[in-house]
Parts: sequence; C-alpha cells; structure tokens
Amino acid sequence: MSTEKIKNSLKTGSDKDGYFGEYGGIAAGENLMNNLEELKKAFEAAIKDKKFLDEFAYYCKHWIGRPSPIYFAERITNKIGGAKIYFKQEHLNHTGSHKPTNTLFQVLLAKRMGKKKIICESGAGQHWSAAAATAAKFGMPIVGVMGKIDCARVNQNLIKAKHYGGKLKIVEGSLREAITAAIKEWSNNPDYYYLIGSTCSSSPFVDIVRYAQSIIGKEMREQFMELEGKLPNEIIACAGAGSNFTGSIFEFLDEPEIKKVVVEAEETAALTNGTKGIQQGMVTKFLQSDDGSKSLGGSSLGAGIMYYGISPQLAHLKDIGAIEASTANDKELLETYKLVAQNEGIGISFEPAAAVTEALKRAKGKPKDYIICATACGRVEKDLDVIERLIGKDFE
Amino acid sequence: MIAYFVACYPNFEKSLEIIKKSIDAGVNICEIGFPTQEASGEGIIIKNAHDHCLQRNVTLKDTIKLAKAVRNYNNDVGIILMGYMSNIFKYPIKNFVSDLASVDADGCLVVDAPHELREENELRNLMNKKNLSLIKLVAPTTKEERLKKLSNLFSGWVYSLNFSGISGSKSANLEDVKNMIKKIKTYTDLPVCSGFGIKTPGDAKKMTQTGCDGVIVGSSIVEYIGKNLNDTKLPKNVGNIIKTFVEELR
Repeated sequence: MSTEKIKNSLKTGSDKDGYFGEYGGIAAGENLMNNLEELKKAFEAAIKDKKFLDEFAYYCKHWIGRPSPIYFAERITNKIGGAKIYFKQEHLNHTGSHKPTNTLFQVLLAKRMGKKKIICESGAGQHWSAAAATAAKFGMPIVGVMGKIDCARVNQNLIKAKHYGGKLKIVEGSLREAITAAIKEWSNNPDYYYLIGSTCSSSPFVDIVRYAQSIIGKEMREQFMELEGKLPNEIIACAGAGSNFTGSIFEFLDEPEIKKVVVEAEETAALTNGTKGIQQGMVTKFLQSDDGSKSLGGSSLGAGIMYYGISPQLAHLKDIGAIEASTANDKELLETYKLVAQNEGIGISFEPAAAVTEALKRAKGKPKDYIICATACGRVEKDLDVIERLIGKDFE
Repeated sequence: MIAYFVACYPNFEKSLEIIKKSIDAGVNICEIGFPTQEASGEGIIIKNAHDHCLQRNVTLKDTIKLAKAVRNYNNDVGIILMGYMSNIFKYPIKNFVSDLASVDADGCLVVDAPHELREENELRNLMNKKNLSLIKLVAPTTKEERLKKLSNLFSGWVYSLNFSGISGSKSANLEDVKNMIKKIKTYTDLPVCSGFGIKTPGDAKKMTQTGCDGVIVGSSIVEYIGKNLNDTKLPKNVGNIIKTFVEELR
C-alpha cells in the first residue's frame, strides 16, 4: 500500500516541531539542543542513504536473525475457542527481544555520525543487553543506566551485557529514574551518542525508534499474506513507553479495519489513567500528581511495561481513536505465562504476557477465521527466577 | 550577584529568613527554584534539596507565596522563579503568569523549555504581555546560528552556562567563559550573567574578568544549607557567605 496516495495518512512521523497532534515536542535543556538538532539531520540523511539502509538490512538478517517468524498458537486457540491466535515471535531475535533492531539501527547511525561512545538507559534490561551486544559488535564503548529495582530482578540481562563489555551505572528507582540519569550523563558528555530504547523523550527519538521498529509490522504483512492470504483482524502488543507496540502497528495505521490494541501494566497505565503533562523531555500522558511535581503509579512484574509515561505518538493515536488501550495485572501475567509455556512450549517474558492476556480475552467466541496477532516481544530468561519463586510449584 | 535558592528549603519560614538575610548581604537577584521530582538539569546537591521539599509537599503555589513574602520584604531585589515546565504546565500556564505578575516577581527561567516547545511560546507570549521576563539560557554547545535566533527572544538578562552538564558537576574554564560572553554580547545589549561551576568567592572574582555582568551562585549555597539544616543561625550564616561573594564582586 502506497503511503503517498493516502490523504491524511497516519503513517507519517512527527510534524516540523516534533509533535504528534498536541503531544511530543522537545522539552530539553539548552545544552542538549544542538545534539538533538544534529541527530535529527543525521537521521533524516541516513534513511535516504541506500548504502546505510542496506547495511541495516544485512545485519537485521544475519546478526539479529530477522525476519522473526509468525506462529499459529494452535493449542491455545483450541483451548480458548474462537479466533486464531498468532504470535509475532520477536523473542526469537538475537538477545531475546525486539530491542536489537533499534540498537542496531542507532549504533549504525552513531557510527555514521562519527560518535565514539554510547550512553543508554534501560528498564527490563532487554534494551541494555541488546545495546551492549550491538556496541560490542561494532567496537564502541557503552555506558548504561538502570534502576536498582529493575537490576534486582533481571539479572540475566545484566550478566549478558557485562560479558559484551557494557559498563552499568545503577541509580535508585526504575525506568523513569534511569531515563533522567541517562539524560544527565548525556548533558555532561554531549559528544556521546544517546541510544534511547523506546519511543519516548524529545523529538527526534520517537521517530527514530519508530522507524527502526516498524520493520515488525512490515514483516507481519508479508508473513500473513503468505501464510493466511489475509491480514490479521487485530494486532495486540504491550507497551512500556511503546516501541514494541508502535513497531507492530505502524505499518497498518492507514487500515482502520485492523484493530490495534496496546496493553499496559495495570499499575502504570499512562494511556488509560494518565493526564497530559511535560516531563522526561516530552509532552505526553503521565501518571503524575495534580501539580506535576511527582510521578505516580505502582509496580508491575513486567519491568519493561512499568513506565509512568507513554509515547507521545501513542497518546495522539489514542485521542483520535486509531488505537485502543487495555491493561493487564500481575496475576494475569503469571497465568498467561503458564498457559503459553504449557501449551505451546514457548517461554515468553512478563511483558508480552500482557499482550497475550488481552489476545485470549478477545479471541473467545470470535469466528474461526478471525485472526488476532499478539507480538511476543521478549523471552522469559530474565524473569525465570521471579516466576520460579512465585509459581514454581504449579509446574511440579 | 544572583543567588539560587530552593523554595521552602528547609521550610517556608527558614527559607524566607535565608533569602532576607541574603538580600541584606547584597544579593541583587534571587532565583527561587520550585521543586520537582525529575529536575533533569540538576546535580545531586540541588536534586537532594528538591527531594527534601517534595517529601514535605512543597508546590509551585508555595513558591509563589514565598516570592510574595520576599517582595513584601524588599521592593528592589530581582525575583526570578526557576524550575521545570512540568509544574508550570499543570499550574496551568495562564494562572502561573497572572500569579507571577500579582506577586510582583520579575520573571522566570524554565530549564527544559526551548523555544521549539509550543508550550514555551504560550508561556513567553503571556509573560511578555505582563512585562515579565522569560530568561533564556545559552550553553557552550549553542551554535552561532541558534544564538542569533535566541537573541531575538532574550528578555531581562541572559543566563550563560559555563559548561555543558548538570548543575554543580564541573568547574568553569575561564578562557571558554570569556569567549562565550564575548560571543553572546555581539548579539545583545542585555546583561549577560554567568552561572554553573562558581563555587567560591574566589571563583566569582575570577568570573568578573570574563566580561560578564553578573554571576549566579547555586549549588554551593544549597549545599551549605543542606549540611546545616538544623542550625538556628543558618539564615545569618548564609547571609555571611553571600557577603563574602558580594565583596569579591565589588
């Protein structure tokens, strides 16, 4: 489908000021403005450079292992009774999540810009391990920042990243604090490349991460046409800040007949319960106190979906009714993990368990030719200790 | 001499006393920071002070009240509120500007509000109408072309950042600062004040050789307050510290 021909296409990036409707923009300190401007120019030039895109495509295939397959979860489908449930198997990518596609794209961009060192933040450590792997592959030193709460529960990713040569700084808190600390690191070292992990913060980061991750939806289109001869009726993906969901649905934004459902952690559902504000470099919806001085929200088992804000593009798309938002709680995440492991022999992490939870609810009672695709954006390794502690006896 | 204070640190009364004593000691402009959780431009010293105030539920409204009390004490001192867009946006912007005008403050400085942000434009336009200054920052990373654009938006005075980074984290390089002040002054006739990395009266004295029209001292004052929270002589002692800065700047 050609984007150019569609009037009022939603498959565009942000406007000239970096906004999506009333959300987005640049809320950054003066000392970062030059960096953001430079980054925007470099990004716009890179995506017009065939050699750069070919290199990205080459490593997507040979280093990450893309395309990730789609998979018909037949036993679960039969158990639920209704729509056909598919998984987009992003957890089969190298490093075990959708994250390396973005880190590969941005490390190549950093190299193209002549940057010598990389800073990044991470929530669940999926971005951290992917970023460290990519930096090692291209011989660039990398510093990561993560919150203490997350570090305590995703040890596997920390070990992997350490082996890839990444140096980790640990701060109090979780993803929110990690982003703030990483931005501070970047302020102190403006010659570094800031490798953000999701579709959040100031423009042009939201567009850059979306560009890299939208490969997920493009692959889905080809794969569904080949396997089913038609596109799915619904696409469901989880979101912390939103890179996995945005990547899954961007390709289909001009096809309103395909439902797009984003699932947040019930405890930190900024799209459902947040209010408009300006924090973390952007205008978007946040769970925040009335006066904007404090963040709100509880704790979720899914470290990667425990974020008190949301991509400004998703805030806009929800406002105009182009996407729907839902939530999943810890109990559901655990039940869904168990169901998928026991029936499909696939160990998904807590985050995609949120998406699959929603898929199960929506599949029930639907016609048999109705297709729901849930993006399985992470594998379970990082969560195994927590699962074993909470419900390990269920499997005995 | 411009001094930065965190509003209501350690509490409303003591904070007001500290500012009064600082005015007595010769501070020309009081920069009163309103606390916020993120404070992405602040180093650990100011961040800790913000957290102290947030735990005691200090809001932007309290900061406005403090500004009013400061104005009641002294008619001539400059009063600038300083902070982040989050609180102003939620206040919301329109009410913030009218409250700022009603307490007779001179303006505000918003760390994370570049002119590319639409909400900054809204704030700046409303402030202009009330003759309030939205103080703009220039950083060492600000390119000439951008400085030219910024110079059309300057109001009141210009905050020149001595280094690229968060507050209280590095020291200023005199030669770099000199060049930067010179560069800024080719684009504006407004006073250019130098901030970041000025920790001692000696640092302040050195800064006077750079051609700047004023210096901003923040982290070192906040740090002193933080270390002496329960000292009954705290306001008087802060006043004495300010005096040592002011004397070097004469």
